[in-house]
Amino acid sequence: MNVYRHARLLRTIVLMIVTGALLLVWVLPLIWAFVVSLKSEREVLAYPPSVVFEPTWSNYVDALFGSFSIVDSLLTSTIVATATTVLTIALAVPAAYAFARLRLPAKRPLGFYTLATQMVPPVGLVIPYFLILNRLSWLDTYHGMVIVYLTFSLPFAIWLMVSYMEDIPWEMEEAAFLDRASRLQTLWHIVIPQVRGGIAVTVIFVFLNAWNEFLFAVQLGGNTVRPVTVAMYNFVSVEQTLWAKLSAAALVAMLPVVIIGIAAQRQIVKGLTVGAVKGGARK
Amino acid sequence: MSSSRRKGGGIHAGERRFAFALTMPGLLVLFLTTTFPLLYLIWSSFQTINLAMPFLDGFAGVDNYVQMWGDARFWHAIRLTGIYTTTSVVLQVVIGLGLALLVMQIPAGQWVFRIVAILPIVLAPVVVGLFWRTVMLSPNFGLVDYLIQALGFEQVNWLGAPTPALISVIIIHTWQWTPFAFLVLLASLASLPVDVYEAARIDRANAFQRFWHITLPLLRPAIVIVVIIRSMIALSAFAAIFAATGGGPGTASEILNLYAFKTSFIELNFGYGSALAVSLLVITMVVSGVLFYLRTARHPGTKT
Repeated sequence: MNVYRHARLLRTIVLMIVTGALLLVWVLPLIWAFVVSLKSEREVLAYPPSVVFEPTWSNYVDALFGSFSIVDSLLTSTIVATATTVLTIALAVPAAYAFARLRLPAKRPLGFYTLATQMVPPVGLVIPYFLILNRLSWLDTYHGMVIVYLTFSLPFAIWLMVSYMEDIPWEMEEAAFLDRASRLQTLWHIVIPQVRGGIAVTVIFVFLNAWNEFLFAVQLGGNTVRPVTVAMYNFVSVEQTLWAKLSAAALVAMLPVVIIGIAAQRQIVKGLTVGAVKGGARK
Repeated sequence: MSSSRRKGGGIHAGERRFAFALTMPGLLVLFLTTTFPLLYLIWSSFQTINLAMPFLDGFAGVDNYVQMWGDARFWHAIRLTGIYTTTSVVLQVVIGLGLALLVMQIPAGQWVFRIVAILPIVLAPVVVGLFWRTVMLSPNFGLVDYLIQALGFEQVNWLGAPTPALISVIIIHTWQWTPFAFLVLLASLASLPVDVYEAARIDRANAFQRFWHITLPLLRPAIVIVVIIRSMIALSAFAAIFAATGGGPGTASEILNLYAFKTSFIELNFGYGSALAVSLLVITMVVSGVLFYLRTARHPGTKT
């Protein structure tokens, strides 16, 4: 019995060490980026790379207030991501309700169409959009950018919301209907409060994707609309070796999504798995 | 219910009108923002559109596609797209599943793995690409290069030599997205029924048999979904490669996506770029069609 217990303990310890080592593969690059962001530029180019050094916050000060300030692009990203999210939710929630709960003419082909639009490779959209927005003089404008962002946020949001709408019980809607509530009242007062959690998850996903988008932003934006992702890329193209400042700026730029990611970790995993678990049951 | 499903009138006519009104704004916007540009893309793939030489612009017929057929760089890009997509998806699923199986067995601290796993997923791919290009893979000063030399191996010019550059962009993609497979498979593993395993243990099935005959078939739907989602994303991966290597050196890591992009926006040849993008669109459609077919195909013993 004692031997058995020892073997178990040993196995657990080995297991912890192995998994811990694997964890390092993902943790180390992130920690390293943070370490580099605390170095002076001279320290960054020391060889071998130094681990003990005098940390400085000056790169962060620079990233926010200095000559490399990314505050403007943070603001741009906030505007674009927020506008995209609001519009997407406003369009996706009613559509998802109809798909999930109502008799909709041509429901299957329309659902398939929505799913198919989600699979269009972005490069197949950025080329025509450049030509179209150029003709409309909408390149480097906020409305142009938000329109383009709807292409990836809307189909995804509709499908995610459909899966949440399918989960709510029918009884409440029936009761409301018997109370002679109008259909719109039912949607607003009965259905939407029940899918608040689903809406929150959808908001998180749409916001994250919009914040992180790069391909459309780099080609269809410009000096007016320059989200943080593009600012980061330009920074490296111009200042090849200022890694400490790059790391600091990039960590600041990623701070919002990292906070959202950690805070909503459970909801995100649930959102990721909605497709995986329920996908099999979908008609 | 279905007895009253007649065209026009009936007690459900109001419901249909209401449903139609709810979906129309979204679907109309979807049509204008995705389908219309796609039609425009297909139209422009039959045109000569060169912003550097606008005097040549006009209808080109199938010229762009004929050119594509004889373009070695195009076939090279197709080959790279295939290698990049299959390798990274297989690595993500295998490593993700392995990690999930390991983490399921540790008695405490699973939450640490969940938190760490969420981080790469929420980072912008372009930022991940930039991180790896600079502080990780740079010769001498990069962490990876330093560790490799410290362990006594030869220095590798990760992003500057053709084969290492391709390996690097696959590693970067796999690093960022394995946590996705890990989290989804971990959640699926946690939801598997316990009694099947009890039965298997009584039948004296060993660990490998339990994995092969019980876990794997039960996980099949989740694995297939992960493969579908990740393949679609890998096929249209752009930002991380663009940031890390720009498709180079030369065309060593130039997947079809980057080739279409560069043709359009660097060589300003939008007609040919459109044709390349259309080919990627067709490939994506075929691959997703095959994957969805595999998903719905019947497999005995996997009803879940």
